[in-house]
Amino acid sequence: MSALPEFENHSEQEIKYTTCYMCACRCGIKVTVQNNKVRYIQGNRHHPINKGVLCAKGNAGIMKQQSPARLQQPMRRKPGTERGAGEFEPISWDEAIDTLSERLQKIRETDPRKLAFFTGRDQMQALTGLWATQFGTYNWAAHGGFCSVNMATGGLYTTGFAFWEFGDPDWDRTKYHMLWGVAEDHASNPIKIGLEKLKRSGGKFVAINPVRTGYQAIADEWVGIKPGTDGLFALSMLHVLLKNDQFDWDFLVRYTNATQLVVQTPGQKGDGLILRDDDGNPLVWELEQEAFVDGSQVDIKPALFGEYTAPDGRPVKTVMTLLAERYLSDEYSPENTEEVTGVPAKQTERLALEMAHVAFKETIELDIEWTDSWGRKHDKVFGRPVSMHAMRGISAHSNGFQTCRAIHLLQIMLGSVDCPGGHLAKPPYPKHVPPGIKPAKECAPNTPLKSPPLGFPTAPEDLVIDDDGNPLRIDKAFSWDAPISNHGLMHMVVTNAVNGDPYPIDTLIFFMANMSWNSSMNTAEVMDMLRAKDENGEYKIPFLVVSDAFHSETVNFADLVLPDTTYLERYDTISMLDRPISEPAAAADSIRHPILEVDRNVRPWQEVMVELAGRLKFPAFTKDDGSRKFADYKDFIVNYEKEPGIGFLSGYRGKDGKTHLRGEPNPKQWEAYIENQGFFVHHLAPNQQFYRFANKDYLELAKHAGWVGKTDPITIELYSETQQRFKLAGQGLYDGPQPTKQEHKDRLTQFFDPLPIWHKPLEQTRIDEDEYPFYAVNQRPMFMYHSWDSQNAWLRQICAQNYLYMNRGKAQSMGIEDMSWVWLESHNGKIRVQVKLIEGCEPNTVWTWNAIGKQKGAWGLKPEANESNKGFLMNHLISELLPKKGDPVDNITNSDPVTGQAAWYDLKVRITPADPDEASTWPDFDTIKPAPGMSEAPDQLRYAAHKPVHLNRSIRDVLTRGSLDEDK
Amino acid sequence: MRLGLVIDMDTCVGCHACAVACKQWNTSGTTGALTDYRPYGEDPSGVWFNRIRHYEVGDYPNNKTVNIPMSCMHCQHADCVNVCPTGASYKRPEDGIVLVDQDKCMGCNYCAWACPYGARELDREDGVMKKCTLCVDRIYDEQLPPEERQPACVITCPAHARFFGDFDDADSEVSRLVRERGGVKQMPELGYKPVNTYLPPRITRPIPTDDVRANKLVSSVKDWVNKMVAR
Amino acid sequence: MHPAFSVILFTVISGAGYGLFILLAAFHLAGIGPAMSHGELLAHGFASLGMITLGLILSTGHLANKKNAWRSFMRFKTSWLSREAVFAVLFYPFAGIYGLGVLLQGSAIGPLPAVAGSIAAVLAVVTLFSTGMIYGCLKTIRQWNTALTPANYIMLGIATGSALFAAIAAAFGNATTMHAGVAMVALVAAAVLKGIYYFWISRVNGPTINTATTFNRATVRLLDTGHTAGTFLTDEFGYDPRKDTIDNIKMGVFLLGFIAPVLVFASILSGAPAGIAWLAAVSSLVGIGMERWLFFAEAKHVVRLYHGAQTCTDSLAEPSRVGPEVAADTRRGDAPRGELGDTPGGSGS
Ligand SMILES: Nc1nc2c(c(=O)[nH]1)N[C@H]1C(S)=C(S)[C@@H](COP(=O)(O)OP(=O)(O)OC[C@H]3O[C@@H](n4cnc5c(=O)[nH]c(N)nc54)[C@H](O)[C@@H]3O)O[C@H]1N2
Ligand SMILES: Nc1nc2c(c(=O)[nH]1)N[C@H]1C(S)=C(S)[C@@H](COP(=O)(O)OP(=O)(O)OC[C@H]3O[C@@H](n4cnc5c(=O)[nH]c(N)nc54)[C@H](O)[C@@H]3O)O[C@H]1N2
Ligand code: SF4
Ligand code: SF4
Ligand code: SF4
Ligand code: SF4
Ligand code: SF4
Ligand SMILES: [Mo]
Repeated sequence: MSALPEFENHSEQEIKYTTCYMCACRCGIKVTVQNNKVRYIQGNRHHPINKGVLCAKGNAGIMKQQSPARLQQPMRRKPGTERGAGEFEPISWDEAIDTLSERLQKIRETDPRKLAFFTGRDQMQALTGLWATQFGTYNWAAHGGFCSVNMATGGLYTTGFAFWEFGDPDWDRTKYHMLWGVAEDHASNPIKIGLEKLKRSGGKFVAINPVRTGYQAIADEWVGIKPGTDGLFALSMLHVLLKNDQFDWDFLVRYTNATQLVVQTPGQKGDGLILRDDDGNPLVWELEQEAFVDGSQVDIKPALFGEYTAPDGRPVKTVMTLLAERYLSDEYSPENTEEVTGVPAKQTERLALEMAHVAFKETIELDIEWTDSWGRKHDKVFGRPVSMHAMRGISAHSNGFQTCRAIHLLQIMLGSVDCPGGHLAKPPYPKHVPPGIKPAKECAPNTPLKSPPLGFPTAPEDLVIDDDGNPLRIDKAFSWDAPISNHGLMHMVVTNAVNGDPYPIDTLIFFMANMSWNSSMNTAEVMDMLRAKDENGEYKIPFLVVSDAFHSETVNFADLVLPDTTYLERYDTISMLDRPISEPAAAADSIRHPILEVDRNVRPWQEVMVELAGRLKFPAFTKDDGSRKFADYKDFIVNYEKEPGIGFLSGYRGKDGKTHLRGEPNPKQWEAYIENQGFFVHHLAPNQQFYRFANKDYLELAKHAGWVGKTDPITIELYSETQQRFKLAGQGLYDGPQPTKQEHKDRLTQFFDPLPIWHKPLEQTRIDEDEYPFYAVNQRPMFMYHSWDSQNAWLRQICAQNYLYMNRGKAQSMGIEDMSWVWLESHNGKIRVQVKLIEGCEPNTVWTWNAIGKQKGAWGLKPEANESNKGFLMNHLISELLPKKGDPVDNITNSDPVTGQAAWYDLKVRITPADPDEASTWPDFDTIKPAPGMSEAPDQLRYAAHKPVHLNRSIRDVLTRGSLDEDK
Repeated sequence: MRLGLVIDMDTCVGCHACAVACKQWNTSGTTGALTDYRPYGEDPSGVWFNRIRHYEVGDYPNNKTVNIPMSCMHCQHADCVNVCPTGASYKRPEDGIVLVDQDKCMGCNYCAWACPYGARELDREDGVMKKCTLCVDRIYDEQLPPEERQPACVITCPAHARFFGDFDDADSEVSRLVRERGGVKQMPELGYKPVNTYLPPRITRPIPTDDVRANKLVSSVKDWVNKMVAR
Repeated sequence: MHPAFSVILFTVISGAGYGLFILLAAFHLAGIGPAMSHGELLAHGFASLGMITLGLILSTGHLANKKNAWRSFMRFKTSWLSREAVFAVLFYPFAGIYGLGVLLQGSAIGPLPAVAGSIAAVLAVVTLFSTGMIYGCLKTIRQWNTALTPANYIMLGIATGSALFAAIAAAFGNATTMHAGVAMVALVAAAVLKGIYYFWISRVNGPTINTATTFNRATVRLLDTGHTAGTFLTDEFGYDPRKDTIDNIKMGVFLLGFIAPVLVFASILSGAPAGIAWLAAVSSLVGIGMERWLFFAEAKHVVRLYHGAQTCTDSLAEPSRVGPEVAADTRRGDAPRGELGDTPGGSGS
């Protein structure tokens, strides 16, 4: 017998529970700490998100804490040195906050919109948004505008929830899953857990993606679609469903606006709007009464199909009629979409019918009693077990909003919305379509905004434009350029501010966003813009403040750097007011709390914000006597109430900590969360888990908890009247604000449509596609989070150099060799990259991992690091403006014309071999200098939390025993 | 007992979580710090016990991508143990785990030569051979909660593509999976009799579509007759 | 396999040393050839023991943790490396007794040293065999996994040893046609054996990327190794010399290792001065050094199948990348660089 090994000494260890922040998935972690060092980070098996598992990034948390790129102290650009030269001098926190608050005070007293505050991959937009609202500037948004607003908007204007953050497939019950354009997504661990469940239970997994890696690797069927054509593919499947009479008639009648009547008066005002009675209720045609009746009533039998003449004489058609007329057309037949999408007609048809089979022939029945919004009791819940999930492969195209709507339409036709086996909402979703908040339109000195900076326009009246129709926001969100830009257009801020278009600003704050590098389009020029000066020698962006925890490329451009803590060192909330960690059957939120002592002169950004809010005397942060309301962030979280009983954290409220969702502040709320492993879960009763758009018990709970404003049922909008209102404005047929410029009129008429359309991605309509024949897209690597993880000694061993992957057969036909260097050129510029040939890539597509390339010297890496010599960034090729054609459209954002979502993946390129001696990345930027106080990166690393334990094989064993096989 | 892993190639998405979890656990485990070379410089590298490799099977468009995580197979016929001159490498008789006693190794690399699966890596700083321990310091540590007495890589795998158990016990999950899913071994022809077993990608059931095909395709909206469906 | 310089030197030098010893024992104890002077005997003895010892010392050069080298005797039971070490060490007392005998008694040694010398000679063969078996027993390296490997090690040791033997004898003016003849026969035999080996390895087969990955019915290609740079494995096993390098070196092996020495001995036999045997000895050592390099360079470990090689004789599909190099001061061993909500904030996603 060989003895057991020694075991480590647990007596010197402490176990703490908190929330991972190696990415925005926000898994629960159980951290073993030894002498203020992390011994081991594992998944918390009780946590609703990850149920004990942990991804590669989460497992590498130790190395984030070791990163030489961690900022050490507040600093300012050395007076007299140029911005971007990387000359910094350390300053004290007092000085840093004094400088900033004085400057902000002046702005707030004069013209608050001269402060633009934009945040990147943060998870506390409820706080940053509140801060901006209180400051009184509408120039605030988070990164959603360049990330995935198409998915949010597509969902919120259709079903009241959406993919990712607001919904999940019912992984436990689904029998058929279609994944559209997803490499990793935020639900990083949940998708993996889910796919495994699906496969283990024998379900089918279909992946639609031009590239076959990661999730697509394990797909039962891979559809290698051409980028940007998914909308047409979805609508083609819709065509097949209609042709074969396969749709959920009952579902459409009960829960959607399919039976509502649409006015058909082309060329006249009011065309395409829903026929309504005097109270504004939508009218339907009642089949028994043979009359127009209020369609919001129950127990009526409305016609799904039909053309009628309204009492006022106008012709009307049901929504479903319009829908069927459009998509039955040959234009959408699989044979006709094949060439554009690259998906064989037979496959399109079969996939549509497979889904119909699973939805309608393999229906799930659960014996759950529930009550609908009208008080009727049902003894069963029916499920159509087809689910879908879609993300940036859809959203990062300029037709992404319409495509997302097309995918939702498929779900709705199959009746697989918030039902067992289908796509489920996650509290606080679903919301009414769309949610009721409108974006703020006015800024006034020393005054908070009347509504939040971001909201949900439903008509041109809601736009944030002046009387002449010009944009009011620095990012031109909610303007004619992108009317329904719910998340703002962070990718336009630098360009617009530098051009003074619509106006110059004074101070720009970036929190957690690497805007001079991987998060911005047209990187090289953005770097020039950050350095640009006016004729007086003043910087066009006069003051740039960056809050970051690490030495990023953007930090190098800052005038003032406010160094943040890491996720293991601070308090955070993942709030129900923001994007909580809920699961379909449970509302949940969570916290972080310091589990390591801070060893640098850094402060949590939220402390800085609460401090500034106090100093600037924001009303919500100030008592009546003018003194500060909140001592610090912890105090703020406990005591701030958005409305009575509703705060940032929904669990353990009330004086005794026993009330949940709504209740008085609990002074011991943090302690309660910490004791409960850092999170709070409220499980929904079975009768509250499905059909929540019309589920009385759920909606009452949702109202109580402040998730929805009213308990009225949520009508799913197959047909979007909002879209039609903007279209009418474009046609000059709207009573209200209308665009004056032709390009805006064209965009509104072309790209807005109450029923989803497919159009070519915009970039492709403004370049010669023969000249740039390849689609170029990115994927998220599962083991790296944007720019953060190249500083991670373990993760960068997995990949520190990205390649341009292309189809082997295609490359060979062009004489391009594996591992050779090539030039990649777009209408916006060129880069030199190394090629790797693979099978799993649609032949007209090339792709690479996102955000691996780094500027030399950034991120604590040595100048010779692979990332900055062989790795590359696709961003240099992508323009933030549409390709130039010498027309007024030249200055319009390269984004979805509906939502303003950055169109990263519309990019088209050409490939030519590079000279044999050109074996490195180009362009090559200056080397960034290390920041003061940063320690040099070591040449070797040997991390251990303690001395190794011994195995102690005995000498006797050594001498007497061979390997087991021989002993037998 | 014959302890080892089952890895499901049908669900492994190639995320590298198991590889990093292994690195994280073991860098403070029985084999000491797992050295990283040039961690922030050119060509970063280091000692890992578990590596994920990615392959493509078949030609476009009939290609399939497979991810293959590999760590020590704890072979039944462990030549790595037989060739080791010092006795640092050994196979535990009671459970078959193959280990390297760091205190005895002289760093001759011979065992790595004898291992077909690339499971052994020399730590150049310590000068000794290191490899997967099947987390012997977790699975037997009674101070850990019972559900955590599993290898770090198994606990962490988000796609639940990894299973740990006793292959000698016909009723264990690993034995059952190997039986039901037709588990396969890598390079069986070399005769190492690896314990770790891989589950091949499964064949999905065909989904019938005949029952949802219309006899006569709808050609116009007029083909539908309204049904009396109450709201 | 990455050819480790220390291992090449060790096997070539100590191999020749053992060969020389075997020749010495054969000539002296079995009485083949002319009688040797005390001086000559000592020269042969010192040369062989010196080379063996030098080789053994060099062999520890590739150990990353030399302080545990003593433990290598522990696993005689299963390990050829352990056996080699044991035999190599066991050789010394016997060789020592024999040597002492020669030192004290000259050519006419007593029975004890004679028996010891014979045993030492047998141990020399056994050690050479064990060295060969270190490689020959590895199923993971198809090019080595053959009885030809130990046979080669023995034969090459004897061949280089015999050339040396002749050279030393010549230095003492004691070289005979016997010396040259034996050397020629040994060299030709070794060359033939080596030729058979080269022919044999051109046809080896074994596992493929298909059996390695378990996908046996389609083309399998490496997509990504899953690591940025080289690893210990690619360093150790990823060595892929160019084909023309191999061919050139192979020419060198035959030219310098066999043909030139044989010609030298042939010319000695046909009257050239025996002193040129030194040329043969040096040439064969250089040639066998090249042979040893090739022995490693041409050996392809099956783990390469996981790094993209299609078969166990192919080069890697991917151009190899640089492996882990450690800052010079921290480096151990000599493993070199390898080749191989409608909430106001709901605006993110
Ligand atoms: N590990 C890791 N996780 C992350 C992140 C990270 O950086 N690393 N980032 C987070 C962030 S901010 C986001 S927004 C999410 C994004 O998560 P994902 O949505 O997974 O984003 P991408 O990696 O951009 O993947 C887009 C996928 O769409 C495919 N694709 C591109 N164009 C098309 C198309 O036209 N049609 C179809 N069908 N597919 C297409 C690409 O090949 C790719 O597989 O991930 C989050 N999660
Ligand atoms: N070509 C191309 N470009 C893309 C994309 C693409 O698919 N292709 N994807 C886009 C998308 S969807 C997104 S969301 C963006 C992501 O863009 P960003 O939001 O800019 O994401 P990161 O680069 O990961 O991180 C931003 C900064 O946050 C800092 N940070 C990390 N942790 C902390 C912390 O605890 N506190 C503070 N204060 N700072 C911290 C990091 O150091 C980093 O500098 O990239 C976009 N860019
Ligand atoms: S997915 Fe990974 S990195 Fe993201 S929160 Fe979860 S464990 Fe952390
Ligand atoms: S996989 Fe390699 S190291 Fe592990 S037991 Fe088998 S031969 Fe030994
Ligand atoms: S490297 Fe260590 S474990 Fe491996 S064979 Fe040599 S002594 Fe044994
Ligand atoms: S069993 Fe433990 S040591 Fe082995 S690969 Fe898994 S985590 Fe690593
Ligand atoms: S953690 Fe699981 S899914 Fe990820 S690479 Fe490892 S085995 Fe595969
Ligand atoms: Mo994003």
